[in-house]
Amino acid sequence: MMNAAFGVSSPSAEAKKAIRHPMTADPLLTGRMLSLGYHGRALIRDLSFEVRRGEILGVVGPNGSGKTTLLRTILGLLKPLEGTVERRADLTISYMPQRERIDTILPVTALEVVLMARSARAGALQRIRGEDRDACRSALARVGGQTLSDQLYRNLSGGQQQRVLLARAIAADSEMLILDEPTAGMDVASEAAMIGFLQELNQDLNLTVIIVTHLLPIVLNLASSVMLLGARRVLHGPVGEVFQETVLSELYGAPVHIGTVAGKRTLVVDRPGGRDV
Amino acid sequence: MFEQPFMRLALVASMATGAMLSMVGTYLVIRRVVFLGLVLASAATVGAAIAQVFAWPPELASIAATVATALGLGTIRSPRRISAESVMGWAYAAATAATVLILAGTAGADLDTLGLLYGNLLTVSKSHATGLVALAVVIGAVQIPFGRRFLLVTFDPEAASVAGVNAALWSLSLNLLIGVVAAAAVHEIGALLTFSVLTLAPAASLLASRSIRSTFAVSATLGVLLPCLGIAVSFYLDLPPGPAGVALLALCVPVASVIGRWRDTAPRPD
Repeated sequence: MMNAAFGVSSPSAEAKKAIRHPMTADPLLTGRMLSLGYHGRALIRDLSFEVRRGEILGVVGPNGSGKTTLLRTILGLLKPLEGTVERRADLTISYMPQRERIDTILPVTALEVVLMARSARAGALQRIRGEDRDACRSALARVGGQTLSDQLYRNLSGGQQQRVLLARAIAADSEMLILDEPTAGMDVASEAAMIGFLQELNQDLNLTVIIVTHLLPIVLNLASSVMLLGARRVLHGPVGEVFQETVLSELYGAPVHIGTVAGKRTLVVDRPGGRDV
Repeated sequence: MFEQPFMRLALVASMATGAMLSMVGTYLVIRRVVFLGLVLASAATVGAAIAQVFAWPPELASIAATVATALGLGTIRSPRRISAESVMGWAYAAATAATVLILAGTAGADLDTLGLLYGNLLTVSKSHATGLVALAVVIGAVQIPFGRRFLLVTFDPEAASVAGVNAALWSLSLNLLIGVVAAAAVHEIGALLTFSVLTLAPAASLLASRSIRSTFAVSATLGVLLPCLGIAVSFYLDLPPGPAGVALLALCVPVASVIGRWRDTAPRPD
């Protein structure tokens, strides 16, 4: 069920009606011996990884560690300096960018923003059909944005804009969802609700999720695997194996403790003054 | 006023260029690259100046120069240490200087040439007016099926690319479209009025509108109406028609801003 803090009641049965992607063992995405960076300068070297269907991969690391670079490479927006990224041939990906990357000068409604997902998938000459509108309204309803439909995107709050962008990402019915700092600017209740919602999408639709975030607790509680980008190395594996206090303390330059509060795992940094987390 | 054939042709040319420029200019303003309009208009004048030297058809030379500039600005990445706006500033300054220097060294560069470069609505020929109307129809015909794609790559080019749309190609096509329209318009209505319709009509529309459709509709209405009104004003007050149209467009922006603020604060029905 949708978390009430996300600002919604439970989505209707129709809103939840979506394609469930089948389980397969083959990787959807494979990176081989990647060197990633800009202008010939590598931020990340010799990175190899696989992303399998149904996985939730959290990509975390300090500022400047190459999270966005990795994300742009996976999305095909940036060519690797070395190595290859192989996608399964028919893999469809939806991308939810950081809210700040979207210009609000255009007077579009929330529904029109979501419709762009269907418009992008359709051919250049293909018209938007009634069923596309219905699918987009359902996507908005799934994220609790049914009342936002006719409101101008630029007039929405930051959290509401995040929801609309998430609705756009899921309206495309893609197999893989890639999110860049999806909880940026959200209050804690909305953040918790977003985590719950992503878990729900993953469980209900077997959607594969890659989430890039600064916030380690999100990955601790949401992801099945993690890619931890550091200055000298990249750690990739199950969350329980990678998120060790000693590893995190070394990475962030401050003692980091992992604990549990009210059934949720969280992190505490012992003292300020370490590297920017 | 419109009993004179030249006035009727001026009206037709003004309406056709106004419709085209305000339509493609809306994308320029939405993409926050209004300076590109000025650069493309300047590129058109370089083409005309080069045509003067080699006795080439000036319209074709202008379009070629503008298309080359649009392609260049669309494909060349700006250096890391300066913004894209700075690159356009460089292109504008270089194009303007090139035009003046080429004409300074060209025998026979006289007032006719200046008219060719900077346009004069009252001297538009019938064939040129017909050509402008035909071009306006083509631009409108392109906008109907492809407008959604242009908006898509304008709103969020990265997400469009991820979804499989060739955002770079669509963006380049849009620049080319703007380039062709700007080049055609500069010859007839001048660089100043071209740039003004290209940017001020859409800017005023964006300030006052609350939907995509109304943005394009209001922009086109202002782009067609105000330069025509400029012709009428110039006729009765004995003023040059181009600057009169520009003045009306410039006045329109603060008025639209007031309307936009009023609409944002006015209570809406439930």
